[in-house]
Amino acid sequence: MSRTDRLEPGQAERLFREREKDWRKALRRELSIQKRLSIERQPMPEQEPRVRVHNFKEVNLGYALELARAEARRCLDCGQPGCVAGCPVAIDIPTFIKYIEAGELEKALEKIRETNGLPAICGRVCPQEVQCEKDCNLVRAGKAPVAIGHLERFVADYLCLREEAGAGISSSLELARRPEKIAVVGSGPGGLTAAADLARLGYRVTVFEALHLPGGVLAYGIPEFRLPREILQSEINFIRALGVEIKTNFIVGRTASLEDLRQDGYRAFFLGTGAGLPSFMNIPGENLLGVYSANEYLTRVNLMKGFRFPEFDTPVPRARRAAVIGGGNVAMDAVRTALRLGAEQATIYYRRSRAEMPARVEEVKHAEEEGIIFNFLTVPVRFLGNDRGQLRGMVLQKLALGEPDSSGRPRPVPIPGSEFEVEVDLAVVAIGQSPNPLLIKQLPGLKLGRWGNVEVDFQTMATSLPGIYAGGDAVRGGATVILAMGDGRRAARAIDEFLRRE
Amino acid sequence: MNRVVLSERLVPNLYRLVLEAPEVASAARAGQFVMVIPDGRGERIPINLADWDRERGTVDLVFLNLGASTRKLAALKPGEAVEGLAGPLGRAPEVSGPGAVLLAGGCYGIGGLYPLARELKQAGRKVIFLAEARSPAYLYWEEKIRKYVDEFLTMFREDCLGSGQNFKELVGGVISKHPDIALVMVMGCSYLLFKFSEATTGSGLKTLVSLNPIMVDGTGMCGACRVSVGGRTYFACVDGPWFEAGDLDWQEYFNRRKAFLSQEEQALARLDREFWKRTE
Repeated sequence: MSRTDRLEPGQAERLFREREKDWRKALRRELSIQKRLSIERQPMPEQEPRVRVHNFKEVNLGYALELARAEARRCLDCGQPGCVAGCPVAIDIPTFIKYIEAGELEKALEKIRETNGLPAICGRVCPQEVQCEKDCNLVRAGKAPVAIGHLERFVADYLCLREEAGAGISSSLELARRPEKIAVVGSGPGGLTAAADLARLGYRVTVFEALHLPGGVLAYGIPEFRLPREILQSEINFIRALGVEIKTNFIVGRTASLEDLRQDGYRAFFLGTGAGLPSFMNIPGENLLGVYSANEYLTRVNLMKGFRFPEFDTPVPRARRAAVIGGGNVAMDAVRTALRLGAEQATIYYRRSRAEMPARVEEVKHAEEEGIIFNFLTVPVRFLGNDRGQLRGMVLQKLALGEPDSSGRPRPVPIPGSEFEVEVDLAVVAIGQSPNPLLIKQLPGLKLGRWGNVEVDFQTMATSLPGIYAGGDAVRGGATVILAMGDGRRAARAIDEFLRRE
Repeated sequence: MNRVVLSERLVPNLYRLVLEAPEVASAARAGQFVMVIPDGRGERIPINLADWDRERGTVDLVFLNLGASTRKLAALKPGEAVEGLAGPLGRAPEVSGPGAVLLAGGCYGIGGLYPLARELKQAGRKVIFLAEARSPAYLYWEEKIRKYVDEFLTMFREDCLGSGQNFKELVGGVISKHPDIALVMVMGCSYLLFKFSEATTGSGLKTLVSLNPIMVDGTGMCGACRVSVGGRTYFACVDGPWFEAGDLDWQEYFNRRKAFLSQEEQALARLDREFWKRTE
């Protein structure tokens, strides 16, 4: 199967047409393939580990213009780009990179914005190594892939932070030209993407957010050292500039039912309600003081700005010895947060081995540089408390990898008699989340899957109820920002077709 | 914008805020709560709905001025606004059923139970209201509540001290005088809930308490408010706030409410300094 076969219908032709434009041909001739291959991948400038563990500022500092253009020159502008097929929202990656090389940054941003409403965020939080960068043809040539994520981030930052909201909105766009109102429930990446796409199609879109700030997991989950809040704010401003209304403090299912909204004239719905139901391990001592879900710990720090307590009122636990259970991005965020809040020792306990860790490679690298301790094949079996109900330690058990389980990963098997005790005063449980049931359990006839996730047709993201679409973690459990965005994008297209049919 | 329409001190330390919140008012049910953020630096705290006015689009909150957040709320003046208000949250308790209901409230719970008295009465049930306060000077809303209840009883701490009877005996006396009571619902400070639970345990009388643990989002997302009931963990924000008193792990509940005690004191001290500076 050739690489472009995985693209959506029409995409390969569009890529080809762009590639055949004169400026692209000229640019390709400017530098030979050999010369391009000889350029090394431009490293991302970073804050020093020993400095950054004392602050919540972003770890990655971003490319300067010259670095970005050097990196863009590495892209071979190949005829069969693997990167586009690896991108869940199928950004025309070669075109935007070549625009950077040509110094046309506005055009680069506009190209990204065609299919991605949140480039500054994706450039930071996407797992590029398993998506676009995985299938970069430079990898076949034995080189490091083009730093697509870093370049995406560069373009977005370079323009969005300098210009007013709305940079990259094509002037040919006619907003709010259609009469239909659409309700998007949840302002996370899925909801924002669906909202942006529907607004571009001319619909009137309202996003309902239960919390007091928009962004969903981008606001409450991802720490500022990975995603500064002014970046999130500028992306949200962009979506507002498209005419999308965001109503915060509005809990669909409580403040108003979906039926109420229908009576209010909303004709179609996108449920992007997220995975807001933290999983616990159901082991003794889990309700001791000092044991937190990752959701609570991160929400206190990120959404409520608890790291600035007492300037902000929401307190966060400050630990001497912090343990985080889990091996995903949420676990990395939590453990690095604990370190920044002053923990002398911050440790990951993960039940599989390093190879199975679902976290982004860059997060693991940053965590290691910062001095996070990793304990693999280890799982807590009991939390220990003192007489005031406060956590003082935990009993852990060693595991060995066995046969693959339903997820295809080797199943961890307990080793009898391997229990040992450690002293901790903070434990953060980051073993995953399932869909928040508050709204979806209220909709009679809405088909749910085994884990309480909304069942959809993945082509259209249509649920079992007509006019109701869903995506992101509400459908997938704990997945990624970009997959949620891809869902929002497909749902927007399907909602458009649905409303035209009606 | 949730603007303050009215702000008043009901009795020492207990305050009432009437806030604009038309959508919350139209969805509100008795026994539910809202999350309130006092200002741009504030935390999210749960407060019971003490009343609402669908026509005017307002909700009433009654709260104890205790920590930094409630102190900020108590200092709000008409025309000012809170940073955020979201709700209504929690499960509204079932109001229909056989027999009479004893509503027992103390502190903010007297106000918080008022809508429940009204809804129970409208559902045709006999309602006995027992208001607990330090002394008659700490009682509020008696006239308002009397409109919806068959009997209005009071229990003052000074009487308690004077009578030589303990709490359990006093509550027992009320219950034995009303054999038609089929359900007891209690709202107020944790200690009151606990004492009531003790008093009715073993009597076979169904006792529901409205728990008020620490919450962050209030929508089931974080698990800060987890409580153990009958050996299982529940989230008070979405599974509650009403739970069977006899099945609750009270020790754990008391412990968890104190999770941030030292930080709460720190925040309060800081706020007091700020208020002091403003008056200088």
